[in-house]
Amino acid sequence: MLLQILISGLVIGSIYGLIALGYSLIYRSSGLMSFMQGDLLTVGAFLGYTFYGVMHIPFFISLILVIVIVFMIGFGVEKGVISILVKKGVLPIYTILATIAISYILQNGSMLIFGSDMKGYPQIFKIPYITIFGRSFQTEAILCIGASLLLMLVFSFFMNHTSIGTSMRASAMDPMAARACGIDVGLATGLSWAISAGIAAFAGMLIGPVYGVYTTLGAVIGRKGFSSAVIGGFGNMTGAIVGGLLLGVIETLLSAYISSAYKDMIAYALLLVFLFVKPTGLFNERAIAD
Amino acid sequence: MKKTMKKTLGPVIGAALALALPFILRNGFDWNYGVQLACFFLLYAIAVSGLDILFGYAGQISLGHAAFFAIGAYGSVMLHQYANIPVFFSMIIAAAFATVVGAALAYPASKLVFHFLSLATIAFGEVVYQFVSQSPGSITGNFTGMFTQTVSLFGYKLNSFTKYYYFALAAAVILLVIKRNMIKSRVGRALIAIRENSHAAEGMGVNVRKYKIIAFAVSAFYTAYAGALYAHLVRYISPDTFAYKQSVMFMTMLLFGGTASIAGPMSGVLAVQALNECLRSAETYQMLIYGILLLTVIVVMPGGISGVVRDVAARIRYRKSGAAAAGDKKEEVDDHADN
Repeated sequence: MLLQILISGLVIGSIYGLIALGYSLIYRSSGLMSFMQGDLLTVGAFLGYTFYGVMHIPFFISLILVIVIVFMIGFGVEKGVISILVKKGVLPIYTILATIAISYILQNGSMLIFGSDMKGYPQIFKIPYITIFGRSFQTEAILCIGASLLLMLVFSFFMNHTSIGTSMRASAMDPMAARACGIDVGLATGLSWAISAGIAAFAGMLIGPVYGVYTTLGAVIGRKGFSSAVIGGFGNMTGAIVGGLLLGVIETLLSAYISSAYKDMIAYALLLVFLFVKPTGLFNERAIAD
Repeated sequence: MKKTMKKTLGPVIGAALALALPFILRNGFDWNYGVQLACFFLLYAIAVSGLDILFGYAGQISLGHAAFFAIGAYGSVMLHQYANIPVFFSMIIAAAFATVVGAALAYPASKLVFHFLSLATIAFGEVVYQFVSQSPGSITGNFTGMFTQTVSLFGYKLNSFTKYYYFALAAAVILLVIKRNMIKSRVGRALIAIRENSHAAEGMGVNVRKYKIIAFAVSAFYTAYAGALYAHLVRYISPDTFAYKQSVMFMTMLLFGGTASIAGPMSGVLAVQALNECLRSAETYQMLIYGILLLTVIVVMPGGISGVVRDVAARIRYRKSGAAAAGDKKEEVDDHADN
């Protein structure tokens, strides 16, 4: 029983973590916040359902297609809206509200296109269940956890040890100095929004088979993703995933052993507590204290 | 002489129109629903004006004002139902309670910078929303909601929209006058100083934390009182009204109208309300159209409606004064005005 709860906590937790990873990436490379990650997840899940479930394109090809499309959406939003606003020098609230407006458009748009009923994914793997310690688990659930851990390592390395990652961090810290060093700041920030969008779409493809796809799938996950990001330390890649996994496990344990009524409240309560008491998060990321 | 007459004429016409509005709508157009909409306009104007004190003047963002709206509404309804306090007083007690909650939230939140303040307020809004939708012992009626009664002023029941309109109008006038006076006082100047540069304000001897707490508390009172007005106008409340979407709606109304003014929040409420009524028939597209419009407003006119009006007025004034000062150099002036 406990093992089962832990696994299902880790599944949803890894999704929170992936969304939080996107937030951290955007924050580290542009100092902004995006409120549309959750709805990009929904869009990714719906597109995945369309390609894989309806058009019967092989799973890994549809996965790549979905990631590329949503990657483009992310890039387009940054270039078409966010960078224009930043150039105008508006208050940060306007960029936040712009992403909220886009999230409304994405949510309502996907409802109009795909309908408001819940869609079930066909199964991805030939072997539907994996047996661990005598208990069987949905293969997709295990994939979900594995993939998010892998992405965490990849992006941690990417941000801290590659030249693109370094140029992204530089353009957030001091855009003018970065430009003087020959870094294409516009490309770096655009890329970070695009990659975050791609991660969200990937998360959508992972969670779709486990939870089913519906229009408000991403909205709640998106808001809880903030909680994971802050728990881990906003801007920290490892922290994002660890915070997500932790939140997922706490939430599932709480609803299994105490009461499911407070399942949603705990995420936001933790967010408040961390912001007020330890804003640097578990991994002591200094981002908040600017 | 002419100027003073011009100055007093506007408010007098406005006041006369505000007083006669229910009769015009009900008797002139036979449109009782319009009177109800006017009540909604007044209570939203109060709520958004409250948000304006916090965001427009003090520069502190809140994406969780639906929580104060909920505290006002649920507080008043529950005080009336469980403690039998007359509705008029329960509204004030609930709003006062929200003020205390707002101050308690602002105390730790005052050190957070922009983005993270918005996260904290979202989290606060969600906690309150979750509480009212799944309360212990179902004291808030959970998802079924709660029914309640209208305001009764010492035995006189406000049992029509017209009567309720005057009640809400009185509240709106009092609260807006308080807002205007507060902004022109020491407190208002401190808030604006914090908005412009909190470090400089601190250096000038402004107690930043104290004034941020004041801004949060006053703002909470306004929005909570509007929530109480909402509850007893509709006479039914359910958690759906107090979700995250409502907080975004308040912020949209404020930005749509324009911040840091008396007229801004009102024009924003009017515009968004008109929009909502137009979109009522196109329910499935509502969020989509809403999102597109919001995005357009943010990108094209970040000053909101009152910002556009100000710009146009300034331009006209500039042209007039330019034309008067240098009659034959008009073309040159035109060039400047275009820049």
